[in-house]
Amino acid sequence: MNNSLILLKNIGLISEMFFCMSLIYLILFGSVLSTHKKYPILQKIILNLSILILFLYILLNLNNNLSVTGNLLFNFTIIDDYLSFFSKIFITSFCLICLLVIKNYIKDQKLNQFEYSIIIMISILGFFLLCSSNDFITAYLAIELQSLAFYIMAAFKKDSFFSVEAGLKYFILGSFSSALLLFGFSLIYGLTGTLNLTDLKDLFFFLYPNANVTVETSVNTELLQVALFFLLTSLLFKLSVAPLHVWSPDVYENSPTSSTIFFAVISKLSLLVFTARIFQFSFHGLIYNWRYLLLLLAVLSVIIGSFTAISQKKLKSLLTYSSVSHIGYLLISFSSGTFEGIQNLLAYIFIYMLAGLCIWSIFLVLRLKTFYIKKKNKDLTDMSLLIKMNSGLALCFSIVLFSIAGFPPLVGFFTKMNIFLTSIESFMYFAAIVAILASVVSTFYYIRVIKILYFEEVIVGNLYYSLNYIEPFIVTSTFFCFMFFFIDPTYLYLISYKIGLLFYFF
Amino acid sequence: MYSFYFENFISFIFAGLLLLSALLTITSKSSVHSVLFLVLSFICSSIILFLIECEFVSFLFLIIYVGAIAIFFLFVVMMLDVKVSETPNDYIKFFVFGFIFMFFFVYLISSVSSDTFNINPYFDIKHYINVHLNHHSNWYYKIDYLSEVKSLGQVIYTFYVLQFLISGFILLLAVIGSTSLTTTGIYIGSKNQIPFKQISRNLKNAINIF
Repeated sequence: MNNSLILLKNIGLISEMFFCMSLIYLILFGSVLSTHKKYPILQKIILNLSILILFLYILLNLNNNLSVTGNLLFNFTIIDDYLSFFSKIFITSFCLICLLVIKNYIKDQKLNQFEYSIIIMISILGFFLLCSSNDFITAYLAIELQSLAFYIMAAFKKDSFFSVEAGLKYFILGSFSSALLLFGFSLIYGLTGTLNLTDLKDLFFFLYPNANVTVETSVNTELLQVALFFLLTSLLFKLSVAPLHVWSPDVYENSPTSSTIFFAVISKLSLLVFTARIFQFSFHGLIYNWRYLLLLLAVLSVIIGSFTAISQKKLKSLLTYSSVSHIGYLLISFSSGTFEGIQNLLAYIFIYMLAGLCIWSIFLVLRLKTFYIKKKNKDLTDMSLLIKMNSGLALCFSIVLFSIAGFPPLVGFFTKMNIFLTSIESFMYFAAIVAILASVVSTFYYIRVIKILYFEEVIVGNLYYSLNYIEPFIVTSTFFCFMFFFIDPTYLYLISYKIGLLFYFF
Repeated sequence: MYSFYFENFISFIFAGLLLLSALLTITSKSSVHSVLFLVLSFICSSIILFLIECEFVSFLFLIIYVGAIAIFFLFVVMMLDVKVSETPNDYIKFFVFGFIFMFFFVYLISSVSSDTFNINPYFDIKHYINVHLNHHSNWYYKIDYLSEVKSLGQVIYTFYVLQFLISGFILLLAVIGSTSLTTTGIYIGSKNQIPFKQISRNLKNAINIF
């Protein structure tokens, strides 16, 4: 036991330390200025400052050369390897874009309290810690930090009955799933006596699949399987996979859209990284104990996400169900348990996040000029004749929808095809066939949105407010990212390949 | 070789007080009084835990049950403004069922505990009455004594310093979130209490749904 608090070797976490310090300074700044006599609205200043902090965080992380080799910090509770490094950079850049996009929405919705952006920043801190956690206690605390911030963000529009309802619903169901997670952790601790993921990997390394049958019989894995099921249930609950997805349409639809973009797009990556760390890294030896449940839930969520989204009339709930089906595709490749599984998981989640960012930012940008101003949840028919209003935005929207649906000359096709190829290579023919058929079904509702955008026979469409300069810039830049990754997907595959290679060797 | 332990004496006193306060929690007519007796029973049980040298658990009892949950109950009961209800005096009707259930549970608990705790390895069972045995002498304590709270603190402040800081951040988030969710955000005028406004609130104008 070493008695010094923070050693020099823990400097790999210096960017998080910077983040925490600047958060505390932000809170001080806001609370001192808000007691001023004139009661200034600090929301915009704090939002800009937090964007600056995220930018500096990216710079600090990029200049950190320690990350590539993989360090274990803080008594083996924090891992600082390539996966955490890249996922942190992805998350930070996406959060930066999100904060830029929601700026006008916040002003429009009068979410004037400066605490909103601080709570968003605390949830981002939770993402970072979850990405780099190598220990169950750290991971639980990070998940709690992230999800507590989410509950507050969902309920933040206090004068809306829907938002408060969404916050309460999210709070109750999220704490329920956290309890399941804690139960799984405590079962694993009771069975093995360790909470560290690297130790668990060393413990179950000899159980490598098909390695030695006689060794395998000496270990009683039944209770461990129960613990893994609890972990899987609660993590998939938080990822909103099919039988556990029932909370997500209500919460996503009722909470303010500036919060929903964080729930639906960004929170998935850190949870998936942690899931991959548990199941692929430390419990890879017990793959036959968890992969069938995971595959079953993944296929179920693909089917339910594709078929339920057809009957949706609101754009938000359609996007929610499409995210359910996309997480299903991810988990199909994840449950193959191979190296390509991890690679495709990362490539797919990256493209999914990019597409989600583009679509949600288009959703945020379009502000209806209607008489009943309080209605912010757009029906699908509100989008009709967008081509007459803003043809460039309609073009971006339709191209991104085509890419998500997986049409051939776009990047969404590559990632989806790779997932089917991975599942076929690891002999999961049935899952591959069902997923392909479900993806054919799911193209229907994407194309229906495009039909509403272009070919609806109405004379009177809706009017929208004109756009500022920053929002179209973001939408078009994400759109050009799609084009770029279609022409040259090498960067995407190279990065995900490298992460997948360095994932196991620690 | 019977020796009189002061801790045992105190623990008996507090156990009696615990039983009494638990009884009064059920039987008192005013709900505020019953919540206060509930607090008293929590305090008594935490003192008993303290006397059998489970300091950390007893502190947790004090902080969580007394500090948070019981006070929360008290606030709710005070806000609901429940009048003292005159319940009909039919204790005898429940008395029979209560006694049957009580004997059943006492039998269950005593059978389980006598199966598991019948042998105390530190003492010869013949010389002592079983109840007085909660003070056994562990010789390691005499040589190098470290209380439970101190040892936990030594681990938390060194090994789990990062986790400690994260939990501090969670508490900070809870403070920020609760204040920002409860304040209306319009600070025009003073933030002081206006007693007239507070008193004149009633059920109909307390909750606004837009």
